[in-house]
Amino acid sequence: MSSVKPARAAALTYGLVIKQLVTRGRLVALTFVGVVVALVAFLVGRAETNGGEADQLERGVTLISLLGFGLLVPIVSLVFASAALGDMREDGTLVYLWLRPMDRWPVVAGAWGAAVTVSLPVTLVSLVSSAFLVDAGNGLVGATVLAAVVGTVVYSALFVLAGLLVKNAIVWGLLYILFWEGFVAAFGGLAAKLAVVGYTRSIIADRTGVDLELGDLPLASAVVVPIVVTVAVLALASVRLRSMEVA
Amino acid sequence: MAEWAPPMVAAPLPEAPDGMVQVIGVTKAFGDVVAISDVTFGVGPGVTALLGPNGAGKSTLFRIMCGLTTPSQGEVRVLGVDARRDREVRGRIGLAPQQDGLFDRVSALRFVEVAAQTLGVVDHERAARAALDQVKLDADDPKPVGSFSKGMRQRVKLAAALVHDPDVLILDEPLTGLDPVQRNRMIAFFHELGDAGKCLLVSSHVLDEVARLGSRVLVIAQGRLAATGDYRALRNLMDDRPHRIRIAADGARALAGALVDRSLVDGVSVRGDELVVDTNDVDRFGRSIAATAQQLGIRLREVEPLDDDLESVFRYLVERR
Amino acid sequence: MSDARILDRGYRRFEGERSGLRGSVRSLAWHTARSILGLGRKARYKIVPVFIIVIAFLPAIAFLGLAILIGDMLQGELRPEYWELSRFPLAVFATLLFTAFVTPEAIVRDRRDGMYALYLSTPLTKVSYLGAKVLAVICTMSLVVLAPSVFFLLGFTFQSQGPDGLLGWLGVMGRLVGGGLGVCIVYSAVSLGASSLTDRRAFATIAVILMMMGAFTAVALLVELAGMNDNIRLLDPLRLALEIPPRLFGDRSPDFEGVSTWSVALGNIGWTFVGAGTVAVRYRKLAAV
Repeated sequence: MSSVKPARAAALTYGLVIKQLVTRGRLVALTFVGVVVALVAFLVGRAETNGGEADQLERGVTLISLLGFGLLVPIVSLVFASAALGDMREDGTLVYLWLRPMDRWPVVAGAWGAAVTVSLPVTLVSLVSSAFLVDAGNGLVGATVLAAVVGTVVYSALFVLAGLLVKNAIVWGLLYILFWEGFVAAFGGLAAKLAVVGYTRSIIADRTGVDLELGDLPLASAVVVPIVVTVAVLALASVRLRSMEVA
Repeated sequence: MAEWAPPMVAAPLPEAPDGMVQVIGVTKAFGDVVAISDVTFGVGPGVTALLGPNGAGKSTLFRIMCGLTTPSQGEVRVLGVDARRDREVRGRIGLAPQQDGLFDRVSALRFVEVAAQTLGVVDHERAARAALDQVKLDADDPKPVGSFSKGMRQRVKLAAALVHDPDVLILDEPLTGLDPVQRNRMIAFFHELGDAGKCLLVSSHVLDEVARLGSRVLVIAQGRLAATGDYRALRNLMDDRPHRIRIAADGARALAGALVDRSLVDGVSVRGDELVVDTNDVDRFGRSIAATAQQLGIRLREVEPLDDDLESVFRYLVERR
Repeated sequence: MSDARILDRGYRRFEGERSGLRGSVRSLAWHTARSILGLGRKARYKIVPVFIIVIAFLPAIAFLGLAILIGDMLQGELRPEYWELSRFPLAVFATLLFTAFVTPEAIVRDRRDGMYALYLSTPLTKVSYLGAKVLAVICTMSLVVLAPSVFFLLGFTFQSQGPDGLLGWLGVMGRLVGGGLGVCIVYSAVSLGASSLTDRRAFATIAVILMMMGAFTAVALLVELAGMNDNIRLLDPLRLALEIPPRLFGDRSPDFEGVSTWSVALGNIGWTFVGAGTVAVRYRKLAAV
């Protein structure tokens, strides 16, 4: 018997968490939401415009940023990431990963990876379809893919940590999405820089050239800062996992 | 009400007892509720039963031993180290927790296999199959454990705790949900493991189960260690409670008179050919009863202690608190 | 002869007055309301309901404060209509939070912890059980939706700035209560409908948020970006229910200019039926185990 290598520990956690996360109910409900987003995009794409391509692009950007990055990406990430370790913590199965000769960080990394793996297809398929359906050109599609990846990655890290910090992480996460990301961040300034939505919007704005509220960060910052935040949050989650009391 | 807090100047810890598991002056408080209070004991190889009523603090004590939670005071060593800090020792502990949660969407084989893999077992599938065989579960059953009965889930937990052949096994109410046949089989299996030099700590609140697990018990009540050792020896230590003995004899009434006459008993009741006596000096009673009967020409058919069992000890230890 | 004797029995027949079905409904509604508001529970259960109720009252308190401080200056355009109070963003936010985060507690927990089966072993039937729950939800939601408007009206009345004459006052009060209850009924139906589909409160909360916020955003986009007819707003339960109070005051909000009062009424009735129907279908199938 020996310690389990970090890569092995992460892979084992990843496989186990994916199996627990993918339930029919979750997938059906969230896919339905994705379909609704795509349907709205289709209807917006079919509508006549007076301003030609530029107007169509602006409409596409508005739609993707409001429905996609205001609701779909954070909520899908929340549902999966908060459950990744949070459900285990609440139903007592975390002990089967905790009382093991393994480092803590691979467990966190594996769970986060699983959450991202499950969330990304749901958000990407819906948003990329929407970007195509809104018929605003390939620039929007590329921007959507990049922003969806960045958003899912950082939201998943935040909500994995939330699952380890509080009971009912979904409820607290929703309050965060509605209150901080949706309400406080709207005031701009520092609040927007402390909200993920400011970065995803900046990516879209930068890649499409459309002026978007809160979307005034340069592309490099809009990509790098969320990645740095992700790493820091995952490190915090590892510390939390090491120091927490396990039921 | 103020929350419980350890004293500013911690009292020196008691001397560490011997054993594969050493619990030294451990106290655990949740807010102002003291779950475990200044508990010290050591446990060596073999089966030791941790006995206590529901809510006595058994599971908390087990969680502290495994490092799942920290004691408010004191320390716990498993195989000489703290399981919360030492990663390696976690691979030498097998825990079957009390809570029912399992990874419900995987099969029993996969569940136990994952346990083996996360414990660093090289040939994990073979180990998982062997562990499932030990608890008499079909390793090839594809059904997810979420569809299993309570007893089957309990056995899956046991298999996961056994799969890496741990030196220390901590089993929290492991017999709950098992049918009588499975129970007997498991108890025999625990004894086998104990005889092989493993340290098994098995908790239960069911006296009958504990009596069958072996005579060595740790009794915990209201968070305090009430007694430790062989429960028959514990009974003899209960000086302030008379021993109750039933005697079947031909001349029960005459024998009762003689026993009272000679101050061998403190109380007696007679019904037909039987008498039930209470005595505080069971040794003197034991030495004298045969001679007394012989002198009276009375034939003793049966002499049976009525309260020499675990239940009597347990009730004595728990009820007077 | 056996010497067995029963010296005491643990069971005692209840000898007091029995309150019957009506008492059961009243009792269940009362305890549900307390549970929703976190009363009699640990402090952490009170945080969200109390926070929501406080922010729901903020607009009313602010305008009342201004009325007291600067009096007549608040007359005219600065002063909101009575029905407008429930449409301030903070009030809408509070109502949304209550509908999504607090209301599901009314029915989800009973199914999860087995209390539902226990309730059905009393004089309560499925219908009376749900009736009690609806009553509790509407009453507690009124604290967020209706109470601030009534408080606002009473405050202005005490400041001698309320409606003229008793009849006028009663008319305003009646319409405020009617409008507030209408909003509560629609939101309760939507929330309970979503809550009946899952045994996890968090999932019910997400479903309500997606239904209310998602529909609100999608409809706004369809009107603004796709130039769709105002009647598409009937698909947005969040704003549609809030259109009830202005219609009772003979007014209409800017977003619903093109939507007839009949459409607003039918739309709200439709959402109420969808929510109530979902609950009915779900509970008809639900076994009391």
